[in-house]
Order: sequence, then C-alpha cells, then structure tokens
Amino acid sequence: MERITIDPITRLEGHGKIEIFLNDEGDVANTYFQIPELRGFERFCVGRPVEEMPLLTNRICGVCPEAHHMAAAKAVDAVYHVDIPSTAAKLRELLYMAFYCTDHTTHFYALGGPDFIMGPDAPVAERNILGVIHKVGLEIGGKVIQMRKYGHNVVEIIGGRKVHPCTSIPGGLTKGITEEQRLEIEKMGRWAIEFAQFSLKAFNDIVLGNPAYVDLILGDVYTHKTYYMGLVDANNKVNFYDGLVRVVGPDGKEFVKYAPKDYTDIIAEHVEPWTYLKFPYLKKVGWKGLVDGPDSGIYMATPLSRLNAADGMATPLAQAEYEKFYATLKGKPVHQRLAIHWARLIELLYAAEHWVELATDPEITSPNFHAIPTEKPTEGVGIVEAPRGTLTHHYWTDERGVVTKVNLVVGTTNNNAPITMSIKKAASSLIKKGNVNQGLLNMVEMAFRAYDPCFGCATHSLPGQMPLEVTIRDADGNPVQVLKQFTE
Amino acid sequence: MKTLVIGLGNPILGDDGVGWRVAEEIALQTAGSPQVEVDCVSLGGLSLMERLTDSERVVLIDSLFTGEKPVGTVSQFTLADLPDLTAGHSASAHDTSLRNALNVGRSMGIALPEDGNVIIVAIEAENVYDFSQELSPAVAASVPQAVKAVMELLAGQN
Repeated sequence: MERITIDPITRLEGHGKIEIFLNDEGDVANTYFQIPELRGFERFCVGRPVEEMPLLTNRICGVCPEAHHMAAAKAVDAVYHVDIPSTAAKLRELLYMAFYCTDHTTHFYALGGPDFIMGPDAPVAERNILGVIHKVGLEIGGKVIQMRKYGHNVVEIIGGRKVHPCTSIPGGLTKGITEEQRLEIEKMGRWAIEFAQFSLKAFNDIVLGNPAYVDLILGDVYTHKTYYMGLVDANNKVNFYDGLVRVVGPDGKEFVKYAPKDYTDIIAEHVEPWTYLKFPYLKKVGWKGLVDGPDSGIYMATPLSRLNAADGMATPLAQAEYEKFYATLKGKPVHQRLAIHWARLIELLYAAEHWVELATDPEITSPNFHAIPTEKPTEGVGIVEAPRGTLTHHYWTDERGVVTKVNLVVGTTNNNAPITMSIKKAASSLIKKGNVNQGLLNMVEMAFRAYDPCFGCATHSLPGQMPLEVTIRDADGNPVQVLKQFTE
Repeated sequence: MKTLVIGLGNPILGDDGVGWRVAEEIALQTAGSPQVEVDCVSLGGLSLMERLTDSERVVLIDSLFTGEKPVGTVSQFTLADLPDLTAGHSASAHDTSLRNALNVGRSMGIALPEDGNVIIVAIEAENVYDFSQELSPAVAASVPQAVKAVMELLAGQN
C-alpha cells in the first residue's frame, strides 16, 4: 500500500478550462469555456422501465438530484397520460420548495455571496463561506446549517430519503404524510421564512448599502440584453414546479408561452466544435453567434430570468421584494447578471412562503396521493425550474413502457451561451493590448458563478474538485499566460 | 471507537461507483457489529460533512482519478494529506471542499472527526465520465484489495 499526496495541478482532466485568444493588437478576440461532460446517459436508459427514470435521473448530477427527480416524475406521468391527484402534486411541490431553500441558501452563502460580503477584491482565500462566517459572525453559519438541515428533513419526510428522493412514481407518490409530519414541516417552513428575510436584510445592508457594489451590479461588464425564460402559473407568477414556460424579449414583452410538450417547436440547439455542451437558442429568432440583442436567439434561464419572464411572485412577502428589486434596479427586465444573486434571495423567500402555504393546505395530509395509470405509455415531457434554469426531460417508450429514447435539456445548458458571453465580456474589459489585469480571474469567476452553473457531475471522483484554469493565447495560438484559481 | 464507513460516488457512473461496491461488501462482512456503521452516498462538501456529524472516525471509500497511477491502484491516506483547496472555492461546482465544510461545521460547534481521523481508501479509476453500472476490469479486480484494506483499518491493524 503506498501513501500518496494528490497534486491537483497535475490533474488535467476535470478542470474547468477557459481559453482566451487575443488578436494581433493584444485584445480579446475569442474566449472558449470548456467543462468535461458525462456521456452515454441516453444509452444507459434505453431498455429500462420508464418508471425507473425518477430514480436514475437523480443520479445524473450531484448538485440538483431533486430537480431531476421532479422533472422525471412529471415526464413519466405524461408518458402514462395520467393526471395526478392534487395532493400528490402539492406534496411534490412542497418537497421542491424545501429543496429550493437548501439549494439557494448554499449558493448564496458558500459561493456567490462571498464575492459581495467579503468584496470582489478580497483575497481568494477569504472569499468563501469561512470568510463570511468570520466577517458576519458565527450566527450566520449556524443559520445556514439549520436551513440546510430543515430542507433535507422535508425532502426525507416526503421523498423517502435525503437528497435523492425516491417516492415519485407514475400517477403520484408512494406515500403521503401524517398530521404529525405536517406540523413538523410547517414549523420548519415558518423558520425558513424568517431565515429568508434575514438573508435579504443581510444583502440589503451589506450589498445595497455599499455604492461600490451597486455600481458593480449595474456596470456594463456583466450586462447582456437577451431573452429570458421561466415557468409561470396561470397568473404569470413565478412557479418552480408547474405551469407554462414563458419567454420574454430583451424589451420585457412576452415572446412566447408554451406547454412543456411543445418545447421542440421553440428551442433548437447549436453545436460548436470546441465543446461537448450544446447551445440552446430560440428557433424562431435563430442562432446569430455569441451576441445579445433582439435578433439573437440566445436566452437565459436563471433566478433573474424567471423574475424577468413573470409578472410577479405568488406570495406577498416575495412580491414586495420583487417590486423593490425592479424599483432599485430601475426598470424591467434587468439585464445585469450579478443581479441574479439578489433574484435568488427573492426566490428563497417565495419558496419558504409557499412551503408554509402548502404545509397548511387542508389537502396535504389526504391519503389520495396516487392515481393508478390506465393508459398505454407512449411519450411524455416534464419541465420544472431547477434552481439554475429550466429543466426539460423528454422520454419515449414502447407500449410496455420500456424506454426507447431520452432527451434532456438541463438547467446549465440553457445558459451556456450567456455564460460564454459573460466570460468574454469580463475578459475583454480586463485585457487591453496584451496587458492582463490581475483581477481577471476573479472577474471571470464572478461572471460564471452568478449563473450557479451545475458542473457537479464532474466532481465525484477525488480530488473532488474542478479547479479553474485560464489560458491566454496570442494571435498565433501560443500560450502567453496561464492562470489558476487554487493554491499550490 | 465506532467507525462510520461510507462508500462515496455515483453508482451508475462507471468506476465512480467502486466506493459503493466496496462498502456493500464491508456491510456484509461487518453485519451485526455495533462498532461499524456502513452507508453509501453520492454527496460531497457540506452535505457530506453533515453526514459525518457525531462520528469520531470515518473511512471514506472513493474512486480516485489522477491519470498517473495504474488503474485499480488502491491508495490510503487521510483528509489531512489532501491538498488544502480551501482557497479555491471556485473549484467546487456548487459546494465547498470537504475540508472546508468540516471547518465550517466545527466552527458551528458540530461534533465532527478530526481531518486525521477521516481516512480515505481510494481506487484509481479509468472511466468516470460514461454512464454504466459496470466497473472497468482492473477496477473490479481491485475491489477485494480495497475491502481488505478497509477491514484491516476496522480491525485496527493499519
């Protein structure tokens, strides 16, 4: 048995790689963002009973298993042409609200928030959750851990186990909840509302109270005028679990609203030779390259785009924050990508409020949580909003319900083009005539982190990290500088 | 001292599932032992830290992908031996590193094992990017060696 030390720098596979190509003048010509992609999921699924999909798909990604479980559950319902009982839909949505609270909390405090709370110029060693705890106080760390615990608890109560729920089946759920469990869930939800309000207050005090940060949010570096996508309910309010997908243009006007089954009429995928990841775009507008504006079919799907695509929030406290958001940022839609962090906290409050609404719904403890499917299975689409973007699952089966084909458009893929544009814009602002500003790596990081991209799939194996590496190349393609965001 | 044995990884992602295979075998061999608890999870960072709450000693079994060791090589080290990637929080997808997470947990007063009591038994993998329930032949062949290493740790021989 040998004893080893792992050096992440020697581990080339699994890096997030950014290649920046300069032109003859030493300015940025192009940027390429590459991450490793998992392969062969469709091949893996074909030949399996479709009811296994909610269990299989929640293993696709280590970051949002609950979102895949929900999209799969809805797609499987559609495959069997079954309308699930309202109690089943409400229980699934309740689980999903708790998951959202956990996920958004983790992103804000562990990833996105440190840029603001510690400041974008703070040393990278301090711009993490530990730095936040040291600066804001131990209390904040305890609340984050508590919020995550409550979220996991609800997922376990309704979903059968933590993180990787297993109770959704065609027609609903395998189990309901008792009155005792409902009371426990309600109590945790009420705490979550207070936590969300606490988080928004912290954002208000630390970020909005600092003119330099407000300028950073409103600055041009992270601004792109694209289309925006998000699920909405019958009143065009933000919805994470169900409804129609609404897309608004850069002018904020509704461009299209479509049912999940029609997604292939709306979305097409562009392929570039330098990355496995596809670039979804709006078919009717067309692919015009990595550019923004009304003539480019590039859209974004994030917390900010959900707020932009909706007419408001369905709960009162979140609605008040929604109104403050657009009043402060002066108009709608908001195009500045760093505002995604704020939008995420407004969604956190909505999720917590809706958690309590569902937990106090008279139907929630009903034993009517499953409808037996009676139709022959064929084909179905399920869409939910994953925290990091609209998530589409599409399955085809034979008449026995055995999977013959699978198509997924995952949250982060929607944002592939906007992320690439943001990286290019950040790089262009910091590389002039061959001079590379030392803040480049931080600014590039902040650009893609705002989108909360989901690269979890690539980080299972030890060392379990995906260090970011930026290579700057001259006009002939020769590397002139390599930047790495990890300690040696 | 009670030991928590955790198989880490994704059971449908080829060699990434090797941690589960080894842990499942450990569960069979230690069934009924009050000193050993075995679990299989697909977690990292804060979530994994939360799973380690109240444990004094932990054995994590995971795939390792350095691209430098022969496939199937079984290695053993502690969390304290891993490079400190605390600074590179961007390195993680949506979470923080386990060491960072453990530090967060400890600062919250959560009872967690010391880094030196988090022992990792790792198996060099070949395929961690293609979905499959099968292990590569060389990785599958090393499962008994990894099981032996964990059993020796549990017996206090290592």
